[in-house]
Amino acid sequence: MPAESTSVMGLFRDETTAAATIQEMGAGDWHLERVHSPIPSHRIAAALNPKKSRVGWFTLAGGIIGFFTGFGLAAFTALRWSLIVGGKPIVALVPFFIVGFEFTILFAVFGNVVGLISQMGLPRPMRQRYDPHCSGDRFGLLATCDPSRRADLIAFFKERGAEIREFEPQTATA
Amino acid sequence: MAELTYASIDNTVIDTLAPPRRTYWATVALLFAGILLGATCWGYQIFRGIGVAGQNNPVHWGTYLINFVFWVGIAHSGTLISAILHLFRAGWRNPIARAAETMTVFAVCTAGLYPFIHLGRVWLVYYMLPIPNQRTLWPNFTSPLMFDVVAISTYLTVSSLFWYTGMLPDLATIRDRSEGLRKKIFSILSLGWTGEYELWRHYTRGYLFFAALATPLVISVHSVVSWDFALGIVPGWHTTIFAPYFVAGAIHSGLAMVLTLMIPLRKMFHYEAIITDRVLESVAKTIIFTGLIVGFAYGTEVFIAWYSRNPVEMESFYWRAFGDYSLEYWIMVSCNTIVPLLLLFKRVRTHIPTLFVISLFVNVGMWYERFVIIIGSVAHDFLPHAWGLYSPTLIEYGIMIGSFCLFFFLFVLFCKHLPSVSMTEMKETLHEGESHAG
Repeated sequence: MPAESTSVMGLFRDETTAAATIQEMGAGDWHLERVHSPIPSHRIAAALNPKKSRVGWFTLAGGIIGFFTGFGLAAFTALRWSLIVGGKPIVALVPFFIVGFEFTILFAVFGNVVGLISQMGLPRPMRQRYDPHCSGDRFGLLATCDPSRRADLIAFFKERGAEIREFEPQTATA
Repeated sequence: MAELTYASIDNTVIDTLAPPRRTYWATVALLFAGILLGATCWGYQIFRGIGVAGQNNPVHWGTYLINFVFWVGIAHSGTLISAILHLFRAGWRNPIARAAETMTVFAVCTAGLYPFIHLGRVWLVYYMLPIPNQRTLWPNFTSPLMFDVVAISTYLTVSSLFWYTGMLPDLATIRDRSEGLRKKIFSILSLGWTGEYELWRHYTRGYLFFAALATPLVISVHSVVSWDFALGIVPGWHTTIFAPYFVAGAIHSGLAMVLTLMIPLRKMFHYEAIITDRVLESVAKTIIFTGLIVGFAYGTEVFIAWYSRNPVEMESFYWRAFGDYSLEYWIMVSCNTIVPLLLLFKRVRTHIPTLFVISLFVNVGMWYERFVIIIGSVAHDFLPHAWGLYSPTLIEYGIMIGSFCLFFFLFVLFCKHLPSVSMTEMKETLHEGESHAG
């Protein structure tokens, strides 16, 4: 990204056009900073070709911890106060497995939530250079370029049928 | 849904959040009065003791447990619609998923009150938590009642998180179309969501895992509820069919409640273009299916009682059908298995008022199913000299009215303050039935 850059957002009504534009931008020399979408679009995903999310690892870790926590809690409490069980095992596998199962789900969901929060960076303050239409019916492509090429970028978006949202030039850190 | 656009979906849903009319507040006030009635009755019971309720020897479990099982059952179809049908990519569930999830959360909250109420000495509720007392006496985790505590707590937590997570993009949509205080509130609730692809990338995976985890959970929870009974050596309870029987019954009652809630909601909020006749018809078809499963379970219970040649079991089921509670039994059978068969006729299931009436019948039938199972078994078990009858007292009726009012009160408040239809999932529906699943 240039040291001083300007940002322009192209707002598309149509997901297919937005996805095609993303691919064209990848081939060209525009810097696509981010894409906003009102829905989780598979076409846009295909165009961006992102890495797989790591949320699942948090979920898995939560589930494993949960199972051992649940089973361990039931076993520990049974061992601390030994009920008279008529020769049956104090640490009863079948009923304690049920407790373990429920804790597996509970902790897996906690892990999932931790994964989502940490990976998405939520909660966070509202983004600068954001257009509210992007949560409604527009697909927003925010691109940055050298201020001298601003007009070209706007023309690029307009040629593809986008509405334009311009933002103030800024000094970039990266 | 050719006439729907992203903008029209947003407008339709956001219009429902406009300041309500007086009739709305009158309804809220009426429901609140019902809650006060229930709370007063509960307060009276706490003050006077559990004896003011109708439980007796041998019927120790009365309406409190009936309502507990009823509301847990209602909760189940919310998860069926939001999670299981999501995994199956059933596009017709999208318009009703949010309301069904909400129904789940509020129904579990309502159900969760009943063990507290039934406890009598409610201040001792912490005995159910894994906290040791001074003699290191812990809860007994081999008891199905403790399974229930764990399962219901898990279910409430998971469904609440699932519900809120599913709502995040919609909260942002409302934030972006609001001003003033509402904008501030929705800015906090939406956690800064902007619909960036980087967010969607994680969100879709997380949502998929939520659905994948909620699916076995929902089946396990009502199985655990059924084991509250099935693990007791009581004729009519001690059967292996109880887990699938309860799960099917839960989904049956929950789907009926979905119709009971969605049909008036659709009318009041002009959701006809979103919650189409086809959506309601799909729910109706599922009710036929679950009704047949429930009917099969009823038949199996009776058949096994006869086939076992166990005189106690045979007597128990004979008494259910022809004894003191025969009216309740036949209400159960007719409302849950015979009335839903009317939905086999397309004219019936596409006629909305009839569909609504049938959903009410199923709700009533499912309440009586719990009555028949719970009361009908303990009232008439092994020892003829210990047989007895039960009928609820006014205090129990008051608490029951209060709990129904609480459920509808929460739902009515929700409908006017949060998006009752998932705008995001509706928009996905426009794209060839794509869904949150990544």
